[in-house]
Amino acid sequence: MQNRSNDFIPAAQVAIHDADLQRAVSFGTNAGYTRRRAAMFAAGEAHGQALRRQAAAIRRNCLNRLPELLAEAEANMTANGIRVLWAIDAEEANRQVVEIARRHDARAVVKSKSMVTEEIGLNHALEAAGCVVLETDLGEYIVQLGGETPSHIVVPIVHKTRESIRDLLIDRLSMPPTDDAEEMARFVRETLRRDFLAADMGVSGGNFIIAETGSLCLVSNEGNARLVTSLPRVHVALVGIEKVVATVEDYATLTQVLPRSATGQAMTVYTHLINGPRRANEPDGPEHVYVILVDNGRSGIYATTYAEALACIRCGACLNGCPVYQVTGGHAYGWVYPGPIGAVVTPLLTGLENASPLPYASTLCGMCKEVCPVDIDLPRMLLDLRADLVAMGRSEAVWTVGMKAWAGGVGSPATYQLGGRMAALAGKVVIGSLPGPLKGWTVYRTPPRFAKKPFRRLWAERQSRREERDEQP
Amino acid sequence: MSSRERILERLRQRERPFPEVAAPAVYRPMVEIADTSPAALRARFIGEAQKAACAVHEVASPEAAIDLILALVGREATLSAWDPAQIPLPGLASALELANVTLVGQDAGARVGLTGVDAALAATGSLVLMSGPGRYRAASLLPTVHIAVVAAGQIMADLESWLAAQKVTAPDLMRRFSNVVVVTGPSRTADIAMQLVMGMHGPRELHVVLLPSVEGP
Repeated sequence: MQNRSNDFIPAAQVAIHDADLQRAVSFGTNAGYTRRRAAMFAAGEAHGQALRRQAAAIRRNCLNRLPELLAEAEANMTANGIRVLWAIDAEEANRQVVEIARRHDARAVVKSKSMVTEEIGLNHALEAAGCVVLETDLGEYIVQLGGETPSHIVVPIVHKTRESIRDLLIDRLSMPPTDDAEEMARFVRETLRRDFLAADMGVSGGNFIIAETGSLCLVSNEGNARLVTSLPRVHVALVGIEKVVATVEDYATLTQVLPRSATGQAMTVYTHLINGPRRANEPDGPEHVYVILVDNGRSGIYATTYAEALACIRCGACLNGCPVYQVTGGHAYGWVYPGPIGAVVTPLLTGLENASPLPYASTLCGMCKEVCPVDIDLPRMLLDLRADLVAMGRSEAVWTVGMKAWAGGVGSPATYQLGGRMAALAGKVVIGSLPGPLKGWTVYRTPPRFAKKPFRRLWAERQSRREERDEQP
Repeated sequence: MSSRERILERLRQRERPFPEVAAPAVYRPMVEIADTSPAALRARFIGEAQKAACAVHEVASPEAAIDLILALVGREATLSAWDPAQIPLPGLASALELANVTLVGQDAGARVGLTGVDAALAATGSLVLMSGPGRYRAASLLPTVHIAVVAAGQIMADLESWLAAQKVTAPDLMRRFSNVVVVTGPSRTADIAMQLVMGMHGPRELHVVLLPSVEGP
C-alpha cells in the first residue's frame, strides 16, 4: 500500500473538520476503551495487571527465541500437512499467492481480515492476475465497496456512521432502503454467502502460530474466517514472522488477552486452531493449506532497539486510548497501521523519511503503554524516533532554531532571566497569536500567559522581607 | 540464498533482544475459578454461555433432549448434522428417521445444524468442536440455528485446562485432526456504528442442550 504518512498534518486537519468522522470515531474509541477496561480488570486491577505482565513476558520470551521458534513451527506445520513458504518482502509474498492461485486454477478468492495483506497490497496483485477478490469481514467489505482503506486495526470502519454505510449499500448494491444495522448486516450476509459457496480459494491472516504443535491460530466474531478457511478447496494464510509463539500455554494466554483488549470479550466467538488440510477421514475442509511467513521489514526491526514493536498482537487498544487517534481517526496516519503503534511501525517498515510527522503525532501522555496488553513502551520509541529524525537532519528548521534559542536561553543565569523578562513583556503585547515561525504553536492553542513578576523576583522579595523581619529584635 | 535462509540469518545475527525476560514460571489462568467441583463448573458454564447469548436447555433425560431437538428442527426436511454416532444421544438417529428428517453434511440450504462437542468450558461458556470422521465443520457454521449437545462430563474449567489435557492424554492429541474451533455464542458483528448484531456469517442462534450428570440430578 502506498504510504502517505508525510501528509499527516493536512490530512489530520481535514479529519478534525469532518463532523461525521468526529462523531463516529469518538463514539467508537470511547466504547472500545470502556469495554477493554471492564474485560481486562473483570477480576480486579491486580489480576488484570498480572495477566498483562504474563502476556508481556510471553511475547518477549518468544521474540528472544524467534529464529528457533520459526524453524520449529515450520517443521511442525509441515508435519501437519501445511505447505510453508517464506517471503522476504511484499513483492515475493504477492507472487507466491498468485502462483498458488494459478497452480490450483483459483479465480474466485474470498478473504478474511488481515492487516499484513493490506501491508503488501495483495488484493491488487491478485486482481492483476485475473482473480476476483472479495473481503468478507463486514467492515472490510464496506471498505472495499467504498474504495477506501481500513481506519482501525480491529474496527475497519470506525470512521463511518450508520447513515453513510446505509447510503453506500443502497448505492452500490441496491440494498432495499433500511436504517437498521441488523437488516444491513443480513443483506450483506445473504450477498456474501453466494460468494463463499462459489469461492475457489480462501485467504486469511494469522493471529498466532504455535511452534510446538504447528497450528495456525485465528480469532473472529462474524464467522467469516471460518468460512474462508473451511469452504474453498485452497486456504492461504499470510502471517508476519513475529507471530510465532512457543507453546499452547503461551497461546492460551495471548488468545484470551487479545479479545479482552480489542473488543472487551473474554473470548471471540470463534477461536480457531488450524492443523493443516482436511484429513483423509474428514468430511469437509480445504484440501490444501499454505502458510506464507512474511518478513517485509520485520527482521530489520528485530535488529534494532525497536524490537519491542514486534511484540504487538494487533488489538487496537492503543488506538482507542490515544488522544491523537481519537480526533484524527486512522486515515490521517497515511498507511496500514494507525494510532501509536502505527506511528512507530510505519517509519520502521517504510522508512523514517517517508513518515517523518508520525513520531510527533503523540502527546506522550503514556496512555498507549498503559493500555497495551503486552506493555510495549510506545512513548519511549516515539521519542527515540524523534531523536533519529534529528540525527538524520530531518527535523524541521523551526525546531532546530527553537531548540538552539532555548539552549542559549537556559545556558546561563543571565540569559535565562533575560528570556523570562522578554517573555513577560511579549505576553503583554501578543494577545491572539505568536509571530513568525512561532505562529504554528498558536493556531490551535492560546499562547501561555507569563506571570507579571517572575519567580526569581518573588523569591528575592520574600527573602529580603524575611531578612528585615529577622533583623528586628 | 533462499528467502528462508536470508530471514533466519538476519534474525540469528541479533543477540536476544530481551535478555532479562524469561518465560513465565507459572501461567496464571485468565479466569480464576475457586470451586472446580462438577456442580460448580456446570453452574458457571450455564451462566457464561447465557452471557455469550446462547440458549441453554438443561434436559432431564436423553429422551427429553431428543424431543427438544425435534421441536427446534420443526418442520425442516433436512438437518445439517454430525454423524449421530458422534453425538452422545442414544436413539437420536432412529428418532430423526422416524420424524422424516434427512441428515445432510454440508448443505447450504439447511436452516438447522446439529453437533456434539469435545468439551465445554466453564470459564467462558465456550464449546470446543474438533473436526474428524463424521464431524462436518459446516454443521456448526452454515445454518442459522446451531444445536450443540453437551454431556455433563464434558464440562471443563477453561481453555487452559483443555489444551493441557491434549498434551497429557497423548502427545499432540489435537493435531490428529485438521481443525479445532472454540465457539463462544452465536456469530456477531459490531462493525456498523459499534451496534451489536447477531448472526453475521455464522449461526444467529446457538442452542446448548445440556444432558443430566450420570451421577443423578
